[in-house]
Amino acid sequence: MAKEIVDVLIVGSGHSGGMAAKVLTEKGLSCLILNAGPIVDASKDTEVKPAYDLPYRGFVPPGRVPHVFQANEFDANVWVDEKEVPYTYDPAHPYNWVRVRLFGGRSLFWSRQSFRLSDYELKGKSHDGFGEDWPISLADLSPYYSKVEGIFRVEGSNEGLPQYPNGNLIIDDSPWSGSMARFKAAGASLQIPIAKQRRALGKDGLASSVNLLLPDAFATGKLKAVPNVVVRELSTDKNTGLVNGAHFIDRLSRREMSVKARVVVLAAGCLESTRLLLNSKLANSSGVMGHYLMDQMYGSGLVCSVPEARGGKGTPELMGGSAIVPRFRNLGTKAPNFIRGYALNVTSQRGPMAPRNFAAYGEELQKKLDLYHGSGFMITLMGEVLGHYENHVRINKDVVDAWGIPVLDVQTKYGDNEFNMARDAVDTSIEMVEKAGFEVLSKNYDPNPPGYSIHEVGTCRMGDDPKRSVLNKWNQSHDIKNLFVVDGSSFVSAGWQNPTITLSALAMRASEYLAEQMRQRSIG
Amino acid sequence: MKSGLEGQSKDAVHRPDSREAILPAESVRGMRRRDFVRVFMAATVAPAAFLGQTAPPPRPELPAAAPVPWMRGINRATPVPEGAAAETVAEAEVQFFTSTQMATLSRLSDVFLPRIGTTPGALEAGTPAFLDFFVGESPQARKTMYQDGLDWLDTESKKQFAKPFAELETAQADRLLKPWLRTWMTDHLPREPHAAFINTAHSDIRMATVNSRAWGEAPDTAGRQPTQKGLYWSQIEPDMCWSHPGANQHAAAPR
Repeated sequence: MAKEIVDVLIVGSGHSGGMAAKVLTEKGLSCLILNAGPIVDASKDTEVKPAYDLPYRGFVPPGRVPHVFQANEFDANVWVDEKEVPYTYDPAHPYNWVRVRLFGGRSLFWSRQSFRLSDYELKGKSHDGFGEDWPISLADLSPYYSKVEGIFRVEGSNEGLPQYPNGNLIIDDSPWSGSMARFKAAGASLQIPIAKQRRALGKDGLASSVNLLLPDAFATGKLKAVPNVVVRELSTDKNTGLVNGAHFIDRLSRREMSVKARVVVLAAGCLESTRLLLNSKLANSSGVMGHYLMDQMYGSGLVCSVPEARGGKGTPELMGGSAIVPRFRNLGTKAPNFIRGYALNVTSQRGPMAPRNFAAYGEELQKKLDLYHGSGFMITLMGEVLGHYENHVRINKDVVDAWGIPVLDVQTKYGDNEFNMARDAVDTSIEMVEKAGFEVLSKNYDPNPPGYSIHEVGTCRMGDDPKRSVLNKWNQSHDIKNLFVVDGSSFVSAGWQNPTITLSALAMRASEYLAEQMRQRSIG
Repeated sequence: MKSGLEGQSKDAVHRPDSREAILPAESVRGMRRRDFVRVFMAATVAPAAFLGQTAPPPRPELPAAAPVPWMRGINRATPVPEGAAAETVAEAEVQFFTSTQMATLSRLSDVFLPRIGTTPGALEAGTPAFLDFFVGESPQARKTMYQDGLDWLDTESKKQFAKPFAELETAQADRLLKPWLRTWMTDHLPREPHAAFINTAHSDIRMATVNSRAWGEAPDTAGRQPTQKGLYWSQIEPDMCWSHPGANQHAAAPR
């Protein structure tokens, strides 16, 4: 039986796929979303439980998701099972690939920090000579950032800093707590600006594709979405070389199927979209597909205590609140041993302190926990990782996933620039908290393994030169004009910023462009 | 787009033991008789989709008490029996550690987290037996760290105090343990061999105890670390083929 050909096939349903579906359906195009995992219904899939009602008392079930440091026993079932969809790497250089295949993808669980890139990131090469400039600037992206910030309801403060562009924000003008004010003053004495966090408020505590983007797309009546189907490869028209659909497999029954479409938009997440294209042997005339894998470096930082807050004196006036220290290195001056920069996440906290901050046990530890309760002050790093050709992913033909699809081999590591940056971040943080009069309890210079931040970007980077980039400035394949990749894989540099708002703005911009091209019949 | 029937069959996949109402009470009460009859008839057309479903009908329209088709007897109104956790009635069997290792681990657990006031300690929480299970299920690296670490503690104890670790006074145990205590940040335990074991074991013993039933049900006191309570996610539509021995072979056919 002949099926009607949809205008646009979208692979993936997270922020980028959801944004593409919203924009394209609102322009009147019919869309089909294929998603590799099931639809979540919190009312039947979740239940509040104490840890002692779980088999492992809250410990991650052994061996289940060894590369998801974020996992615990409560949420172990939301992450992709590493036995079901394995990946490989050089044991000397592990990679943490943290994946969610539920409908809505990782947009169901993100931390909601919402930052714009600045031209220090978008035009990084012009500034310091490393890597490539993006083919677009902040001026090109700004209108889309504003629309995305409106949809996500981003709260924060506008500081007027060139490295921390103003946004379309719900202004947070709440007063700083005493501890934060002291930290801010310490920063000011070192010419380091400190700002309110920027975070998406979303709706009902969630800023996901499933509640902010997809409902609008479904409301048009133009969107169909199929859960539990794993795309094996894209199909092409042998005469034109254009993509014309996809082969997929039913996750549960293993039934093989295929679907036709005029245009294909990949939004499966940076590494899954790249894996699909590599397995399909498409769109890689440049040879750079899979290369320049980047993310943000996390894991380094400090835990401190505010002495005046100890002994039950951590009042809401003194303790609480969070801040962001936007990038301050390598703007006007030059750091001696690294390029680019990092941001610091800062939290002042009134709750219990973690026992690992004290070299004590038993009653002695309990006395410390009592005394220090409500005096915690934490700083963690978000550092820019440089894009190197050598940091790459490729297909490992020898290993397949549960559906027989060859898996990814991830070859990446951090280098001196990253390690020197992490050291500077921790030392500078110590300098600031000591000026503020806080006590450092624990510190850590070592970053977590690459991938940990769940911010992987860059493996189908965009550019004006088809020999040096996979996509053009519209997230469109240089090689195949009816193929778009709208997730984080298009990034040319990673920046220190969480990528969500940027990839959502890029997906919106690409989708508006695509809709216009289809209206003019130059695509599809 | 979405017909009433689709709405019903979606509800039909609710497990019968779900605490959530299958249909909001208002909508059941408000359901007109005609609607109910339509739904009911749809169920006879597609019985598989209707299994387990079962909004109790509004009052005057109660169906006949019997006979009910044999697979549709259990329904949302069926009382759910109350289950108890096995650990509330039974002892766990030690499977992994040797008896010497177990004795060392028990003493270590008691030293690291003794009863403090009304808050139970690691022994009352059954932490050593839990760790025997947890470590025994774990990857080899964790097994080896625990086995070597416990053996090392016992050897050191015999060397310094001429008796097994299990028989040490707390002050003696302190002399073996305290030099290895470190502060550390999440995911970055100390790497030196003895410090890695001591700090890991301390962290695990605390977590297993704080998250035990005994701790969770003890009276709350100020400053006490709370038992973790959270949103537990069930497996969501688990893969039917993957656990099957032939799954990989079935799936691996290259195109």
